[in-house]
Amino acid sequence: MDTPDQTLAPDPARGSRWDAVQPWITLACRIGLAAVLVFAAVSKFPPALSVQAVEAYDLFPVEIARLIGYTLPLFELALAVLLLVGLATRYAGAVSALLMVVFIAGVVSAMARGLNIDCGCFGGGGQVAPGETKYGISIARDIAFAALGALVAVWPRSPFAIDRAIGLFR
Amino acid sequence: MGSEARRRSRERIKEQRRKEKRAAKRNKTLIVLGAAAAVVLLIVGVGYLVLNADRADSGYEGALAPRTLQEDGSVVMAQEGAEAPVVEVYADYQCPACRQFELLNGDVLKENAAEGQAIVHYRPVSIFAQRPAPVSTNSLRGGAAARAAADHDRFVQYNDILFENQPTEGEEGFTPDDLKDWFAGTDPSEGQQEQFDQRVDEEAAVVAEFTGEFLPALTEDAMEQIGEDTLGTMVLSDLLAWGDGHGHDSSFLDGTYTGQIIEATGNAYTRYSGDNAFRATPSVYINGELLDNNTALTARGLDEAIDSAGSGEVDTEPMGDGGGVE
Repeated sequence: MDTPDQTLAPDPARGSRWDAVQPWITLACRIGLAAVLVFAAVSKFPPALSVQAVEAYDLFPVEIARLIGYTLPLFELALAVLLLVGLATRYAGAVSALLMVVFIAGVVSAMARGLNIDCGCFGGGGQVAPGETKYGISIARDIAFAALGALVAVWPRSPFAIDRAIGLFR
Repeated sequence: MGSEARRRSRERIKEQRRKEKRAAKRNKTLIVLGAAAAVVLLIVGVGYLVLNADRADSGYEGALAPRTLQEDGSVVMAQEGAEAPVVEVYADYQCPACRQFELLNGDVLKENAAEGQAIVHYRPVSIFAQRPAPVSTNSLRGGAAARAAADHDRFVQYNDILFENQPTEGEEGFTPDDLKDWFAGTDPSEGQQEQFDQRVDEEAAVVAEFTGEFLPALTEDAMEQIGEDTLGTMVLSDLLAWGDGHGHDSSFLDGTYTGQIIEATGNAYTRYSGDNAFRATPSVYINGELLDNNTALTARGLDEAIDSAGSGEVDTEPMGDGGGVE
């Protein structure tokens, strides 16, 4: 808990080298994941398009799809803010990873039902011509993002975080 | 006993300290979680209110400006002699984003037209005519039915009805029976209903022939003779023209509303160039300039774009015989 700045003079021993590097890896993951989430949220604007991207999954009643279309980009934005400022880092990472798992489930279900849609992950969305679906790429991408979130959740200790100022995950 | 008791009490104090530390950490975690939850609620809540405020701006129940059917099957809605920007709306009845546009901004258009602030030019197209059925058949039947409704000056109403009842992807919809029922809901005369019903049945037969036999055969031949790459760049009306010279007579489309909407779609692709090129639906133009999605798909954006534009000219001629204007 009371170790001094761990970036200085890494100990040659293996364990402490990880201790020295890990906060910076976590910081990189936080920033990377936050950037992805901000880009995803912004590209979903305007909400009318986001709503039709959700409707294309054909999983929710109209009103629920509308609510998701409006609030999902905002939720992504909120998670990005938490990751950037390092507030509740562990939980923000875990929720981000969970969100990605939900996205993967949605894409897989669209694939399984033979829908021809764009995932709408970064704007767009809706129907595409048969044979122009990119489910594989979408899933692989989401797995990578989920891994970033999981890493942050498992090793939340990182510099430039409100958590650290308060005394959590030092 | 003395030393044993001291040791025990030291243990107890240590244990107590550990407990306190754990409790302190738990409290910190709870505070941080609470703060994080507050941040999320704030961003989502305030954001939702802001985004929803845009939507609440629309909503128009008043009388519609007069509608005039055009020679190419499109419909102009404007006050007589209005000097205002021309807002062209290209939409496919099977296109979900077009439905969103209609739900969000249909009333913005009506209101602006009614107040003489805009000349609204509805230009239905079928960009999905070459997709597999039922996407193609829904799209074409919907477009043809809207055109049939325009014959009885019910285009704008019917346009709304079609979007409200848009079939989800891959599901059969816009069936002739549905289309007739919806028209009956617009309070037509008996004669109008009869004409409409007959037209819808005729068009449904044309659509079935077109998508079921004609287009697959034509596409197969074209694929062999001009190659998939060139075919991919051809719009449907060009493909039909090619077919006419290569043993695929498309004259059964002549005079049908199905044929008309296919032609209208082909013309949309050649009407604009450069940044304004027609690529997808919904496409909204003000005085020939394509709006980006942030403008076209927010109520405030569209309203402001209309307000700040000068007046324009409709580029089509009204139907000569009075068409749908009754």
